[in-house]
Amino acid sequence: MAQRAVWLISHEPGTPLCGTVRFSRRYPTVEKRARVFNGASYVPIPEDGPFLKALLFELRLLDDDKDFVESRDSCSRINKTSIYGLLIGGEELWPVVAFLKNDIIYACVPLVEQTLSPRPPLISVSGVSQGFEFLFGIQDFLYSGQKNDSELNTKLSQLPDLLLQACPFGTLLDANLKNSLDNTNFASVTQPQKQPAWKTGTYKGKPQVSISITEKVKSMQYDKQGIADTWQVVGTVTCKCDLEGIMPNVTISLNLPTNGSPLQDILVHPCVTSLDSAILTSSSIDAMDDSAFSGPYKFPLTPPLESFNLCYYTSQVPVPPILGFYQLKEEEVQLRITINLKLHESVKNNFEFCEAHIPFYNRGPITHLEYKTSFGQLEVFREKSLLIWIIGQKFPKSMEISLSGTVTFGAKSHEKQPFDPICIGETAYLKLHFRILDYTLTGCYADQHSVQVFASGKPKINRKLISSDYYIWNSKAPAPVTYGSLLL
Amino acid sequence: MGPLSRDAWAQRLGAFRASPSAFMAGPEGEDLGRDLLGDLRSENLSEQTKVSLLALSLEYPAQLWPDVSAAEVAATSLLDTLVLLPPRPSALRRPLLLAATTALAAGGALGPTSGASCRLLPLLLGLAAGSDLGRGFVPASEQRPLQATACECLRELESCKPGLLGGSLGLLRGLLGQEGPVQPLSLLLALALRNTLVLQSRVGAGLGGLLTDKVPPTGGGPWDWTLVEEGDGRLQPQAPSWPAAEEGEGERSLTAREHSPEEARELRAAVIQLLDTSYLLTPVAQAQLLWLLGWALRGLQGQPPALFKPQLVRLLGTAQLTLLHAVLALKAAFGEALFTAQDEALLLRRLTLAAQHPALPPPTHLFYLHCLLSFPENWPLGPEGEEAAPLLLGPQLCRGLLPSLLHDPMALLARLHLLCLLCAEDEEEEKGQLPSPRHYLEELLAGLRQRAALDEGPRALATVCFQASYLVTRCLAGQPTVLTPLIHGLAQLYRVRPMLASHFVDFLDQVDSELREPLKVVLRQEVVSRPGRDEALCWHLKMLAKVADGDAQSATLNFLQAAAAHCTNWDLQQGLLRVCRALLRAGVRGGLVDLLQVLARQLEDPDGRDHARLYYILLAHLAGPKLGVALGPSLAPPALASSLVAENQGFVAALMVQEAPALVRLSVGSHGVKGPLPVLKLQPEALEPIYSLELRFRVEGQLYAPLEAVHVPCLCPGRPARPLLLPLQPRCPAPARLDVHALYTTSTGLTCHAHLPPLFVNFADLFLPFPKPPGGAGLGFFEELWDSCLPEGAESRVWCPLGPQGLEGLVSHHLEPFVVVAQPPTSYYVAIHLPPNSKLLLRLEAALADGVPVALRTDDWAVLPLAGDYLRGLAAAL
Repeated sequence: MAQRAVWLISHEPGTPLCGTVRFSRRYPTVEKRARVFNGASYVPIPEDGPFLKALLFELRLLDDDKDFVESRDSCSRINKTSIYGLLIGGEELWPVVAFLKNDIIYACVPLVEQTLSPRPPLISVSGVSQGFEFLFGIQDFLYSGQKNDSELNTKLSQLPDLLLQACPFGTLLDANLKNSLDNTNFASVTQPQKQPAWKTGTYKGKPQVSISITEKVKSMQYDKQGIADTWQVVGTVTCKCDLEGIMPNVTISLNLPTNGSPLQDILVHPCVTSLDSAILTSSSIDAMDDSAFSGPYKFPLTPPLESFNLCYYTSQVPVPPILGFYQLKEEEVQLRITINLKLHESVKNNFEFCEAHIPFYNRGPITHLEYKTSFGQLEVFREKSLLIWIIGQKFPKSMEISLSGTVTFGAKSHEKQPFDPICIGETAYLKLHFRILDYTLTGCYADQHSVQVFASGKPKINRKLISSDYYIWNSKAPAPVTYGSLLL
Repeated sequence: MGPLSRDAWAQRLGAFRASPSAFMAGPEGEDLGRDLLGDLRSENLSEQTKVSLLALSLEYPAQLWPDVSAAEVAATSLLDTLVLLPPRPSALRRPLLLAATTALAAGGALGPTSGASCRLLPLLLGLAAGSDLGRGFVPASEQRPLQATACECLRELESCKPGLLGGSLGLLRGLLGQEGPVQPLSLLLALALRNTLVLQSRVGAGLGGLLTDKVPPTGGGPWDWTLVEEGDGRLQPQAPSWPAAEEGEGERSLTAREHSPEEARELRAAVIQLLDTSYLLTPVAQAQLLWLLGWALRGLQGQPPALFKPQLVRLLGTAQLTLLHAVLALKAAFGEALFTAQDEALLLRRLTLAAQHPALPPPTHLFYLHCLLSFPENWPLGPEGEEAAPLLLGPQLCRGLLPSLLHDPMALLARLHLLCLLCAEDEEEEKGQLPSPRHYLEELLAGLRQRAALDEGPRALATVCFQASYLVTRCLAGQPTVLTPLIHGLAQLYRVRPMLASHFVDFLDQVDSELREPLKVVLRQEVVSRPGRDEALCWHLKMLAKVADGDAQSATLNFLQAAAAHCTNWDLQQGLLRVCRALLRAGVRGGLVDLLQVLARQLEDPDGRDHARLYYILLAHLAGPKLGVALGPSLAPPALASSLVAENQGFVAALMVQEAPALVRLSVGSHGVKGPLPVLKLQPEALEPIYSLELRFRVEGQLYAPLEAVHVPCLCPGRPARPLLLPLQPRCPAPARLDVHALYTTSTGLTCHAHLPPLFVNFADLFLPFPKPPGGAGLGFFEELWDSCLPEGAESRVWCPLGPQGLEGLVSHHLEPFVVVAQPPTSYYVAIHLPPNSKLLLRLEAALADGVPVALRTDDWAVLPLAGDYLRGLAAAL
C-alpha cells in the first residue's frame, strides 16, 4: 500500500510540449519492492520528460487530435476509470492514477504487490484508493484559498517539505497536507498524549462553533410529454469548531421544518464517531414514502482544528424553485425565442443575484436582436453568441416573468463562437444562475439548540441556496435525457 | 573540489532533476554522490540547502550510490553526520534519518553484515521508544517528531525486510499503550505483527512471548535477524491482491496454523488495542490499518472477524475513498463471516450512492463504479475476474447510474457497460415495460452517432461513439435486436461523415464476424451506391479497400471505373489501387482485368501505372490461391517504412521459393529384392499439410547413377502415405549417402525449399538374388559360381557371431532370399548378386553355440571388407 511516484503537471495547450512537470517525487524504497513484486512484468518509473509526453498523449491533451492514431483512438481501447496504462519506450506503465483539474494534471503510480500480468482487478489494489486520496489532498492544498498563479507557485514550492511529513516513504500518512504544514510550523510544541493524528495542535481562545449549510439545486426541465422534469438538491454542511481541549465532544444536529424534504444519501466526515442507522439507510435510490426519516439528523463528533465538511446530502424537494419553459424556433434566417420563468411561491423571493444565460451554439455571432421582456434587463454578448437575462434580486409580485424575441446570426468563424456537440439545430437550453442567502430549499437548518458541546457560546450559523446545472431545454426540439426522466 | 555555494548546488540539483540519466552520464555525474555527502557537513551551507540535498538523496539513491557498497558507505556517512550535529534543534535530523534509511533499503545494503544497518536499527528503535540516547542527542523539542519519524523509518525497513521487528512486538505494544504517538506506532505494530504471523506460521512456530516481551531485542547486544532469515528476505504483500491471496502460500499456512489459547488471547488483545484507537488515526492511515489487520487475521483460528464490526458502521457512513475501499477489502477477506446478506446489501447501496453522489469528484465515481462491477459478493455466480453486476444490484438500484449524453466519455463508457449488463440480463423479461433499458441503449447510441456525425466535432466524439458501439457488441453479442439497429446506425453515420473511415476500418478489425460481415455489406453498399467523385472519394476508397470482397462485384467495379477518372493525384490513385488489390485477393477476376488494363494506360502517375500493370500481370499469370498469398500481408518485415517497399517485399516473398525448415521426414523402410535393380523403400511423413512435394536426391561420390526425383501430390500429417520406391543404379557395389532436398507448396500457397537430413544406403540394400536355378540344381549352380570367383577374385573366412536365435534364425532374417542350398539347421550356401556385376558367395557351415565360420568368395576385391563388416554386424542387427 504505497506510491512509487507522484507528479503534478500543468497543462499548457498551444506550447510545444503542451505541458510542464511542475512537481515530481519518486519513492526508491517502494520502487525496489515493485521490482521484486512485479517480477518479469516490472516497468520502471520513467524520467519526467517521457512520462509527461506519454501521459498527455493518453489523456488526449496533446494538440494533435487531427489524425486517427490507433494506440489512442482504437475502439477497443476503452478506459472506464481514471487509471491508465502509459506506453513508454515500448513498455506499458500501469496503473497510473491521473486526472485533470483546473489545468493541472495530478498523477501517481501505486505499488501493486504482485505480478502485473495478468493485471489484477483495480479493486484489489490497495494503493489505488490511497493514490486518489493523495492526489485529492494535494489538490485541496493547492486550491484552498488560492487566488492567483503566484500563490499557486508558493504552494508548489512548499510541497517537497510537506511530503517529507505527509508521505516520507511513499506510504501516505495524512491526505490533509495542511496538517503537515502546521506540523512543520509548530514542531516545537510538545504534543500531549493520545493526540489524534489528524489534529496537530489545540485551540486556545473563546469557544466558537460555526456551521454553514449550502444547498445547490440542479434541474433539467423539458416541458415535454413523456419526459419528466428532474431536480435535485445537494447539500454541504461545513463546520469550524474552535473549542479548547484535545478531544472535545460535540454533537451537531440538522433539523427540518414539519413539511421539510427528508435528507438522503448522507455522507459524513470521518470525525463523526457514530451514525444512526436511519441516517445510513436513507437513500434516494428507494422510492419515497411518508415513512422516510425526517430528522433530526444527529452527528456526534470530535472536530478537527480546521474547517471541515461535516456531511453531504441530497434531497428531493416536491417542486423546483423556478419552473421554466423555453421555446426556440428556426425561422428562415432568424431564431424566435420565447421564455417564461415562474418562481415557486414557497421559495424566498430575495436573491443575491438571479440571471438566465441563453447561449446559442454552433452559430455565428449575433448580428441582430429584437426582444421584449416583462422584467429585468438583457445583456448581449454578440461575439460569444450569448444572451444574459439579468433578473436581479426579486421576481415581481406575479412571480412570473417572460422574454421573447428574434435573434439573427452572422457567418460562423470557428475560433470565436462556441462549439457544442449537443446543441445542434434547435436543440438548445437556457441555464439559470442564482443564489439566495440565509435559505435552504429543503428547509434544513441548525440553530443554537442544535449544537451540544461542553462549552458555552452561541454557534454561528449561515445558510444559502445556489443554483448548479439548472437547465431549461427548448421544448420544441430533442434534448438529452437521463434514464430517470423516462420514469414517469 | 571544495564545497559548492548554495547557488551552485541549486543549479546542479536543477540540472540533475531535469534529466537524471543525462546528468549522470555527464562530467559531473560521477562526483555528485560524494560531493553531496561531503557538503552535508560543510559549515558554509544553510540548513535549507542541506535539506534540499537530502531530499535529492531520498529520491535518487540508486543514481547517487549505484551499488551495495556505495550505499553502505553513504548510509554510514549520513549516520556520522547525524551524530556530529550540535545538540541544538536542527531541521536536519529528520531528513538524515530518512536518507540513511532510504540509502540502506533502496541500495540493498540492509542486512546483518552491514555496519550501518547495525548502527541505524538500534538508533531508530531507541528513538521510537523515546529512550534517552544520551549526550543531548535529541533536543527535547524534537523528541516527539523524531519518535514518529523513527517509527516511519522502522516501518519502511520492515516492509523491505519482513520480520525485522518480530522481536520488538512486545515493546511496540507497550509503547502504544503508554504515551507514544498513536498513528506511527499503530501502523508499525500492525505491520510487524502481520509479517511475524506469516513468517512464524511458515516455519510452524507460534508467537510465543513475542507480544508480551517488553524488553528491547537488542538490549545492547546484536540485532536479532533470525525471523528475517527464516523468511529468506522474501517480501510480504501488505495488502495482497485478492485472487493472489487466495493462492498465496503464506495465507494457506496461516490458516493451517493454530495458536495456543494464550497466544490467541494476546493476539486478540493486540488487535483490539489497535482497532480501538484507530479513530485517532488519519483516514488514510485507518485504511492501511484495516487492510493490514484484515489480511493478517484472515483464516486465523480463534480470531473472529467480528472484531472489526464496531468499526464498520462508522466507516460505511463516510465519503472517504480509502475507508470504503478498506471495507471492501475486509469484505473480500472475510465474506459472510463478517458481512451477513443484509450487511452486503447495505454495503452495495452505500457503494451505489457513492458512485453517483454529486458531492464527490468524478474520478471517485468511476472508481466506485468499478468496485460495484467487481464487488466481492458472498456468493458470486459468474466467472471470477470478469466484470459483472452483483446479484443484489437490481435495475432499481442502477437507475441513477445509467449513462446519458451529458456525461464525459469515461463516465459514459463506464455507465454504458452497466447498462449493457442490465440489457443482457433483461433479455427474457417481458416487453412493453417502459422505459426498457434496451430502448434507452438504442437512443443513447443514436445520440452518440449524431454527435460523431458533427462536421466540426473533435475526434474524441467519434472515438467515444465507436468505443461505445464496440462495448455494446462485446456485451450483447448474439442479440440481433441490438446489433441490427447498430449496423444500420453506423452505416448512416458513414453516409453523413465518410471522413470517419479510419474509425470504421478499426472497428471492423476489432469486432467479431457476427457483426463484421453484415456491417461490411451495408458499408459497401453505402460506398458503391454513390457516384465516386466528391471530396470524400479518398475516404470511400479507404473504406472500400476494407470492405470489398467477391460479392457485388459489378457494382464495386462500376464505382471504381467511375472513380478512376477523378483520381487525379497520387494519394487517390494509391487508394484506388488498394481497392483493386483487395479485389484481387478476394479472387475477383472478370471485370477487374479490364479495369486494371485501363488504369495501366490512363493513370497520370507513372508509379500508379506501374502498379496497375503489375497487378494486371499477376492477375493474368497466377492462379487464385497463389495470388491471394502474393497479395497478402508481407511476410518479410519491411526494410523501409514505405508501403511500396513493403508491398514489393510481399511479392518477392510470395512469388519466390522460400527457404524453410523441413516439414517432411523420410525414413528408409525394408528393402525389396525384386527386379533387376535394388530399390530403396522410403516412408514419407509430413508435419503440416503440404502439396506438390518433389524430393530430389544426390548421391555423394557418384557411386550410383543420378537418381530420378520423386513426386508426391499431397501429404497430410496423420494420414498414412504410400511408401516411395527409389530405384538405385550402382556404379560400384558400395554403400552411399544420399543428399535429399524437398520442394513443396504450403497450404498458404507459398513454395518452400528444404534441406532434409541425408539418407544412408547400406551395403545390404544393394543385395539382389541370382535367378533361381531349376529344381535340384542348386548345389551345382552354387559350386559353379564359387569356382568362377578365383583366381581374379578373393577368398576369405570370417567368424560370424550368432545370437540366441542360432544360425537358422540369422539366415531366415537376413539372407533368406539369397539361399541357394539349404540344409537346416547346419549348412547354408548363399549367393548374392551385387549390381552392377559383382557376386558374393557365402558358405555357412558347422555352426557352434556362439558363432559360425563363414567361407566367402567374391569376384570383386573391394567387396571383401564390406562383406566382412556386414557379417560381423549381423548378430547385433537382429
